[in-house]
Amino acid sequence: MLSRRLFTGLVLAGLVPVPGIAATEATDRDALTRDVLLTWNRLVLELVRHTATYSPPVAARAFACTGITAWEVLAGLDPDHRKSLAGQVNALTAPPAPTAPGIDPAAAMHGAMAFSVRHYFGNTGPTGQRAMRAMDSRLAERVAEGMAEDVVTRSLEHGRDVALHIIEWARSDGGEVVENMGFPRTWALGTQPGHWEPTSKIVQQQAPLLPDWPKNRPMAMPSADACGLSAPPEYSEAPASEFHVQAVEVYETVRNLTAEQKLIARFWSDDPMLSPTPPGHWIAILLEITQRDDLPADRLADALARLGIAVSDAFIACWQAKYQFDLVRPVTYIRRHIDPSFEPLLITPPFPEYPSGHSTQSGAAASVLTAIFGDNFAFDDVTHVDDGLPMRTFPSFHAAAEEAAISRLYGGIHFRAAIENGLSQGECVGEFVNRLVTFQ
Amino acid sequence: MIRTALALTVLASPALADAPEVPRFLAETGGIAHSFTGEWEYMVGGGVAAFDCSDDGLPDLYFAGGAGAASLWRNTSAKGGALSFERGTSGAEVDAVTGAWPLDFDSDGKMDLAVLRQGENLLMRGLGDCRFERANEAWGFDGGTAWSTAFAATWEAGQPLPTLAVGNYIDPLEEAFPWGACTENWLHRPEGDRLAPPVALTPSFCALSMLFTDWNRSGVPALRISNDREYYKGGQEQLWHLQPGEPPRLYTEAEGWQRLRIWGMGIAGADLDLDGYPEYFLTSMADNKLQALKAPKAAPILPQYADVAFAKGAHAQRPYTGGDVRPSTAWHPQFADVNNDGRLDLFIAKGNVSEMPDFAQSDPNNLLLQNADGTFTESGERAGVASMLTARGAALPDLNGDGWLDLVVVNRNAGVEVWRNQGTGQPRHWIAIDPQQPAPNLHAVNGWVEVRANGVTQRHEITVGGGHGSGQAGPLHFGLMDAPEAEVRILWPDGTEGAWQTLAADRVWTLPRDGKASAAN
Repeated sequence: MLSRRLFTGLVLAGLVPVPGIAATEATDRDALTRDVLLTWNRLVLELVRHTATYSPPVAARAFACTGITAWEVLAGLDPDHRKSLAGQVNALTAPPAPTAPGIDPAAAMHGAMAFSVRHYFGNTGPTGQRAMRAMDSRLAERVAEGMAEDVVTRSLEHGRDVALHIIEWARSDGGEVVENMGFPRTWALGTQPGHWEPTSKIVQQQAPLLPDWPKNRPMAMPSADACGLSAPPEYSEAPASEFHVQAVEVYETVRNLTAEQKLIARFWSDDPMLSPTPPGHWIAILLEITQRDDLPADRLADALARLGIAVSDAFIACWQAKYQFDLVRPVTYIRRHIDPSFEPLLITPPFPEYPSGHSTQSGAAASVLTAIFGDNFAFDDVTHVDDGLPMRTFPSFHAAAEEAAISRLYGGIHFRAAIENGLSQGECVGEFVNRLVTFQ
Repeated sequence: MIRTALALTVLASPALADAPEVPRFLAETGGIAHSFTGEWEYMVGGGVAAFDCSDDGLPDLYFAGGAGAASLWRNTSAKGGALSFERGTSGAEVDAVTGAWPLDFDSDGKMDLAVLRQGENLLMRGLGDCRFERANEAWGFDGGTAWSTAFAATWEAGQPLPTLAVGNYIDPLEEAFPWGACTENWLHRPEGDRLAPPVALTPSFCALSMLFTDWNRSGVPALRISNDREYYKGGQEQLWHLQPGEPPRLYTEAEGWQRLRIWGMGIAGADLDLDGYPEYFLTSMADNKLQALKAPKAAPILPQYADVAFAKGAHAQRPYTGGDVRPSTAWHPQFADVNNDGRLDLFIAKGNVSEMPDFAQSDPNNLLLQNADGTFTESGERAGVASMLTARGAALPDLNGDGWLDLVVVNRNAGVEVWRNQGTGQPRHWIAIDPQQPAPNLHAVNGWVEVRANGVTQRHEITVGGGHGSGQAGPLHFGLMDAPEAEVRILWPDGTEGAWQTLAADRVWTLPRDGKASAAN
């Protein structure tokens, strides 16, 4: 069953007929360009959910790459008003300019997204491959309607050229190849007190996820440690220690969860392979706002690029700190020192605790979206309606980020320090992204 | 020096004594030439039904064909000899078959077939001599038009006909956005001498395996469903109440049900730890589960399970040979005592879905032999069944009646594989039990067979369903190790406890409800 909003998106793209209602015709090429971009991103959210390598950091990188691709397609078509990210984003050079006039933005956007999505999701399963083929075919037909064949051909090729340029740029960032779903074949556990230990009974997850991710080249941050963090409370098993107090807080919170807290924990859980992941959740919010506010194509592309860069850099910064501090998860500590029968509400992710990835990337996302749309920008979040979790409404992006962050305490996944400091780290990442210039 | 060597031998003896004996399997198709073929529409399914339709005491085989036709193979093997089959003309050679389960629907003593398809499902009435005819209309069975992938049957109290559960997968017409397009599972209950129109088991989450099982020994089986998280939204594994005369109802979190979300592909149930309650093995991708009740002595028993796969060495999450270290994809699981040591072993069919590069392409089937301490030892390679073909369904029947369970595996876009179990080289004993009661439910489905020997009581629940696309009917096999005889009784589906009878080993016994056991050989 398609969600109401997904269904609406497809109707806008002219993909599915609605009985009794004539398919909405895009009235101009800009609206069609926006709908092409929306529809591909809807598919990307599904592909992230259904492609095994797409853990949150990997997904964030793909969102950044496809977002930058979309922006560069439109920036190249109107250089007087739109500024390329070349020279602003680390190591990115100028993409190919249109070689001739008469490039159609919708066809160029489709050419770029079709090529780009197939590249980043080349390792998805047979159903994803089938879906990409179907989407390519249907949207190609849609953008060609009423257009001269040579214009369509030229535009599709230009889009592919831009996509290829971004792909070549991204190849050298360190995140291109993800083996064994991101888990190293061997791993030596830390030796310091309070080091991370496996929490899962899955063989792969006896080693932590993506320990080399901090070596990746950031996009807007100058370096992985540009948003470094202070250390978490010193590890201790003493009942009066700050560390133990924070562990007791997790334990007591989980034991006394309210229905609302459980809902919040599950709403923001965004587990890999069961959701579009935490960065995908923020992309879903953006897509929803785009439809609600009927944003033009260039504003959507700009926002996708900025949001993608923000969450991608956030995971690099966060992972740098995670492997620097290599901290034990609450479930391990609490079972050993407080209550052996402790069961967190959520599945504990297979990597070190500090800081909280949800918090860092949500802080970065909120920073960037606030810069784009303004403070106190209210929105509805319907990301998980299809999964049976009702819509939540937020007065601002920061309010949503704070809820996403604290949800990890409710879930029994993180100590408070990881949540609060993670949010601050995300804000720092967001500030680097907010310095990028796109409209001029 | 001699003293040292002796000491080492003595020290090593307990470990050697505990190691399970490994059976030797000989690849032997017996003339069977069949493949489960097809592309995306047949990426799941691919089963085999193993049952005796020729009344010669040996199981015959009916294979799903996917895009090709299904085929039936009559077992012409000599007892204890090499495997031999002849292609039959059964009337069930239809296309688009994903799986098949044998059951005696009308309790006439002739096995019938539930045939699941990409399209209309079929109930095929057994006519004897391995011939079948369509019975959808005669039995009131609405075969639907869905992509059907899971099946289970039980006889509810007081009903003349079985209740059937059919699990359906995704809507194949949803090309661009198939996710979240799970079609409804159906429950077909009897109404008089026919089946009533089906009831939708909503919510439905792309079931790939179903099993009616008396998980808490309440006397009323519940319906366990394993669902593929690849396609559902808001889904999870499911357990349905099925009280006679009441609508089906999901177990809830308030009743203790714990949310589990896996790529559920197959269910196998068995009482591994001999506590009277079944454990369940659930196949998935990189994350198989072996579930044991957390508190079987609680009152009431809650449907809460601990995953003991990792602790028991039964996780089977990646290939154990062949060099491909990517995670495994598991399909049909089945518990069976393949070395007749009185402990159930576990076979798991493995194979990539279809060009999924994050998962192993060379993914050998598992044969996990149970150790004396309840853990498992991977023995697929030593036993000779570590095939790298892309497996889906399987069965472990005794094809040549020699008391050693053989192995049949259905592969996707490759030929069926059959192995003859040549035993362990040790003269182990076994017994096979065929309970029979007056109609309805001639074969006592959801009753239990208990076998007492070597100081322990083994028990098997008689079920129709589970696995992946595959079902098996016929006498239940128990290994007896060195015991020349065993005490046997039946716990009939209505709760009546049969009397213990002492029976000689190495025979197939029919146990009528109100009479003495008789040996078939």
